[in-house]
Amino acid sequence: MVKLMGAVLVAAGCGWLGFQGAEGLRRRVRALRDMAGGLLLLERELELGAPPLPGLMDGLSARACGPAKALFEGCRAGLERLSEEPFALLWRRLTQEQSSLGEEGRGALLPLGEVLGRYDSQAQLESVSAARRQLEELAARCEAEGRRQGRVYQALGLCSGVFLVILLL
Amino acid sequence: MEPRSKAYQQAAGALPARLRREALSLSASDQGRVEELRLRAGWPMTARLPEGEVPLDSPPVRPEELDQLVEIASRASVHAVLDQVRQGYLTVEGGHRIGLCGTAALRDGEIHTLRRLSSANLRIARQVMGVSAPVLDGLCPGGVLTDTLILSPPGLGKTTLLRDIIRRVSEGEGCRPRRVALADERGEVAALYHGIPQLEVGRRTDVVEGCPKAQGLMLLLRAMGPQVLAADEITAPEDVAALRTAAGCGVTLLATAHGADRTDLERRPVYRALLEERLFRKLVRIRPEGPGRAYTIEELS
Repeated sequence: MVKLMGAVLVAAGCGWLGFQGAEGLRRRVRALRDMAGGLLLLERELELGAPPLPGLMDGLSARACGPAKALFEGCRAGLERLSEEPFALLWRRLTQEQSSLGEEGRGALLPLGEVLGRYDSQAQLESVSAARRQLEELAARCEAEGRRQGRVYQALGLCSGVFLVILLL
Repeated sequence: MEPRSKAYQQAAGALPARLRREALSLSASDQGRVEELRLRAGWPMTARLPEGEVPLDSPPVRPEELDQLVEIASRASVHAVLDQVRQGYLTVEGGHRIGLCGTAALRDGEIHTLRRLSSANLRIARQVMGVSAPVLDGLCPGGVLTDTLILSPPGLGKTTLLRDIIRRVSEGEGCRPRRVALADERGEVAALYHGIPQLEVGRRTDVVEGCPKAQGLMLLLRAMGPQVLAADEITAPEDVAALRTAAGCGVTLLATAHGADRTDLERRPVYRALLEERLFRKLVRIRPEGPGRAYTIEELS
């Protein structure tokens, strides 16, 4: 009985790992989509005019979700301490904290720290738009990859569980 | 804390951390006397005191610190204050003004922005409350402000006097309260910051800032129904034309002009028109007298 329970637990554990791997890919796609959504909101605001960054970040952090919300909230707070940490460094630090976006996703965001608030609205709009498109493409690529690899992860997890059970029995 | 030191410390808040620490290392009495802090790339920061400009004991200002000054002053939103930057200045909370110098980036022959900043000066805004007390009675026969032109060479306090007259007329201090409309082209009188005047101009004062005086005066006349229309530094024929229109609407005029005396005014065509058309009834002249200022009121009509 104990052996059987152990075998079930090992198989379930390996299966869970496989499903987690697949879920990780889905989470990354969601994070990239949320971030792209946040940048789209930013674009809309910039299209309406040239609001100062603190007010802009305030409004965006209330409307955005996921990593975009965390990024905008961090910016809002950091804008009160500009004499200690310039905006470009603040943006870099906050972007690097967004682990859910993956390296490529963070790479798409990084250049915005040198542009936001520094140039006229049109130039900012173009950069934000470019970063958003990059994130959307990345999300689409990750989604396709996730569909393919997700099934592989799940199958691998289940198979390795069964394999372990056979070995241990 | 003494209000003069408080204004200085508020202004120093716009500086990057290192420069702020150095600015605040001045003694409290010197902080109260500093008129400007000057930052020039490659040179130590200096403080302009009444007796002259003195260098602070500090390492030279780095170009990136000038960029950071603009970032802090604009709250990382240069795009929102680009109109001011094009004119070479930025107003920060408290009405303090940062003058900027650097390489101009041109677009269609006009200054689009300033890049690679080379120097900046942080002028500390300090309001002198009650400075108009010696002249107000003379300008308000029967308790109502009359059309007044304030005249003095630069640096003698025209804007300070104008601001205090506006405040008192708007509050009804020593005269009947009036609705005042102020065309503050360079934001030196009221120093709006997020829509709130940083220097007191009274509760019945409406301010338009950042647009050419003549257009600002006409906008105020149309939109705000003022009883007194005020403007700093009348310099162009368009300004005079706007004042002429306002005078025709029965609005009391209050303005300043550069010049030493009435003869100086009569010599220059723009101001001659003001005198010939009798747009102003009183002329206030300011001249230095010892450590302070002396005011003279002349009848113009």
